[in-house]
Amino acid sequence: MIQVSKKSRLAKVALKYCGSCNPRVDLRRIARHLAEVAERRGDFQLVPLSEENIDVVVILCGCPRACGNKEEVKARAKRSLVTAGESINRQPVPESDLPLIVERELDKIVSERP
Amino acid sequence: MTMMTGKQYRESLRKLKPEVYYMGEKIESVADHPAFIPHVNAAALTYDMAQAPEFEELLTAISHLTGEKINRFTHIHHSHDDLVKKVKMLRALGQQTGSCFQRCVGFDGLNSVYSITYDIDQKMGTDYHKRLVKLLKEIQSKDLMVSGSMTDVKGNRRLSPSQQKDPDLYVHVAEKKKDGIVVRGAKAHITGGVNSHGHLVMPTAAMKAEDADYAVCFYVPVDAPGLVHIFGRQTNDTRKCNCFLDQGNVEYGIVGGEALIVFDNVFVPWEHVFMCGEYEFAYELVERFATAHRQNYGGCKTGLADVLIGATYALAQVQGTDRASHIRDKLVEMAHLTETLYCCSIACSCQGYALPGGSYMADPLLANVTKLNVTRLVYEIARLAQDIAGGILATAPSEMDWKDPKVGKYVEKYLKGVEEVPTETRLRLLRLIEGMTCGTALVESMHGAGSPQAQRIMIERQANLERKKRLAEKLAKIGEQPLLVC
Repeated sequence: MIQVSKKSRLAKVALKYCGSCNPRVDLRRIARHLAEVAERRGDFQLVPLSEENIDVVVILCGCPRACGNKEEVKARAKRSLVTAGESINRQPVPESDLPLIVERELDKIVSERP
Repeated sequence: MTMMTGKQYRESLRKLKPEVYYMGEKIESVADHPAFIPHVNAAALTYDMAQAPEFEELLTAISHLTGEKINRFTHIHHSHDDLVKKVKMLRALGQQTGSCFQRCVGFDGLNSVYSITYDIDQKMGTDYHKRLVKLLKEIQSKDLMVSGSMTDVKGNRRLSPSQQKDPDLYVHVAEKKKDGIVVRGAKAHITGGVNSHGHLVMPTAAMKAEDADYAVCFYVPVDAPGLVHIFGRQTNDTRKCNCFLDQGNVEYGIVGGEALIVFDNVFVPWEHVFMCGEYEFAYELVERFATAHRQNYGGCKTGLADVLIGATYALAQVQGTDRASHIRDKLVEMAHLTETLYCCSIACSCQGYALPGGSYMADPLLANVTKLNVTRLVYEIARLAQDIAGGILATAPSEMDWKDPKVGKYVEKYLKGVEEVPTETRLRLLRLIEGMTCGTALVESMHGAGSPQAQRIMIERQANLERKKRLAEKLAKIGEQPLLVC
């Protein structure tokens, strides 16, 4: 279970989809899970990518081509997390585990915040 | 104004009063008539998907004119990335609709006219490009759906436009006035013709000096006086009015919904005229439009094929054949053919190039190969779907019989597949596959974006047979023997 840490402000997390031309995994399931986690934990909030001072951008790509993984997207936030098909940050992850592993990786980044 | 939603698009159609006829009836509201609702729904999805975060990367773009976020269907390509995203967008849309969503034709028209008006102005000192840019800004800011109206009715195909006995068999300038032109003629097979906000009208073929009056390109709103739309019949179209299940794809229909558009002395103000007599540019405009449109077919048709593969696989499961090795093999073949088409569209996009006006177009040779493959492979994909589905595809009783108090129980009992799946599921899948593989839908793959011969002509022009011959002669030690054939 993830420990909720008390930080000076809520972490800002933005989601960026690749475009979903022919996704091999259900990206919406990951997004829904993160929205639920954000509400449950209360230490981060989901914000639009257009917002300033974003802490983490989670780039959700439907296949290994990772079309959403672009420098200009990553530059919008201090840290980034890339899912691409059945992988997270290039490490293989079965589709069924994607939401939970994304949550875990996000937690690591959020807890490392000053 | 921002990008429209599907709901706002429907509302915008209700505010227009185009003259539309179908089955002898004058249509009051295109957005509310059962014959058109599936086509309106499909077009509406081009608006709704642009609002969805999952698809906005593909369905939206940044206008090079205003810097505003716009619907990609109103965008001018300015990079390889734009060309590739177009194909991916079409596949993503095709997967959701399983049918034509119509908006790509006007999109291709705008891109072609954008670049050709620049070229005409450079050579002739005209101001067409400035006019087009002004219109484009309006289209982008209002998020308008524009049809691409190119194909003339053509009369006697042996004769050029000016040689026809009836001068109106190609759209032409009937009169030039101080404030604009009057046009007459008709355009055929115009996709989305009744549910667009306006028409971008382009010449249909290369023109000679004597055809100068036919070298005309312009924009008209869908409800311009003198414009008459006659909607075409489709396979099983009465099912839209009296059935639900038998329609197959109830939400989005079979194809885009094509109309014959008659221009009965329609007035077009000069600000909406983008070519008027510059016959030497007609061929180049047609080629750019054809390239752009043929690029699409490995995008949208693969999206539709994804749906067809899914429906066929589901039906095989319902019928208990899904584990047979030859069925698995055929499903794999359908996927292989689908991805082959996708490869073609992606390739012609990646090999595209910049035009003098700064916009990008796909590689013409590879775009034509894409479309020519669609005229074959889509039929093979459909053939495999029909093979797996079985003869019941053509003989299943109607929805009315299934619901009939007397015979319904027999349909229910004898059309059942595996025990755990209801008969209704099997009927729904059969009707979806029927709609996608029988009749109108397949003809669209053959003739949409030009018939196969049109692609063959363009492929021959660009195949560079002479160089290929020199390559062979070098190796066969015939004639000159340069170190390298360049």
